[in-house]
Amino acid sequence: MPEAERDITQDVETVLFSEETLLRRIAELGAAISRDYADKDPLLIGVLSGVVVFMADLVRSITVPVTLDFMAISQYTSDSPSGTVRITKDLDHSITGRHVLFVEDVIDTGLTLNYLLRTLRTREPASIQVCVLFDRPYRRLIDVPLAYQGFELPDTFVVGYGLDAGGHYRNLPFVGVLKPDVRR
Amino acid sequence: MSVMRALPIKNPIVCRQDISFSHPSEHEFACILDFYGIEWRYEPTTFPLEWDKDGNVVEAFSPDFYLVQQDLYVELTTLRQKLMRFKHRKIRRLKELYPDVNVKLWNRKDYERFLERFGMEGRREELVGQEALKNHDA
Repeated sequence: MPEAERDITQDVETVLFSEETLLRRIAELGAAISRDYADKDPLLIGVLSGVVVFMADLVRSITVPVTLDFMAISQYTSDSPSGTVRITKDLDHSITGRHVLFVEDVIDTGLTLNYLLRTLRTREPASIQVCVLFDRPYRRLIDVPLAYQGFELPDTFVVGYGLDAGGHYRNLPFVGVLKPDVRR
Repeated sequence: MSVMRALPIKNPIVCRQDISFSHPSEHEFACILDFYGIEWRYEPTTFPLEWDKDGNVVEAFSPDFYLVQQDLYVELTTLRQKLMRFKHRKIRRLKELYPDVNVKLWNRKDYERFLERFGMEGRREELVGQEALKNHDA
């Protein structure tokens, strides 16, 4: 079948979190954030690219005024030229004196989130909290306080709703496990 | 055995460029910690675990990494899975004798997931597969 006609939902063996389950929990998170950040005009920050799916649904479930911003960072590769993280797209807004809510799709080791929070704290926000949709705590190296948390992921490779395999499957509306032959 | 004898031994600090990692997976782990600006030490502490009747240390354990700000030791065991039971026993003993020490044991599966996380599945064989085992045995 031509690649353009292939239905990627057929690559999924098991659905772990349905679209309905995800949206219900995100609505709860949005309600909690709306309550906690009333009159604070928070700045929601996400790191491209995985977070865009979650961010799009989260901001629409928040009922108080918010501002939205994104940043991007280099990923580790064995031949990373600088040997350290580079911010490849910085924020468009200043965060000094702002209440920042850092929105992340998944936390695993905590290395990336820890780096980003350290970086953002140097810009002297009024406060900074973290909202994570998926927590994968099994290999946590750096403990990061999570103010808002959606689901704990099982210790298996999953895709969908922003989570990718080689850049694909982020657009699945649910989270699932790929069929073994697809993963290979 | 007296618990009074259970005192960690601080090993000499070795400069980053002079560290001789015992396995390529450890070197890659160190590079990733460097990338994210995590301060770490390589095998900085040896924990005596068993003593003979004369008080000589007969078994000890030196976790591979110490993350300074996190006060966390990490032991990577990516090779033979039969070593895991041995490692688990050592870590249980360490926690009995040094209850305030935080230590995590990563097995091969943990390391493979770690590689996946950084999009390095392609280096699995080199870092945790038969090739790594061969090089380690050489």
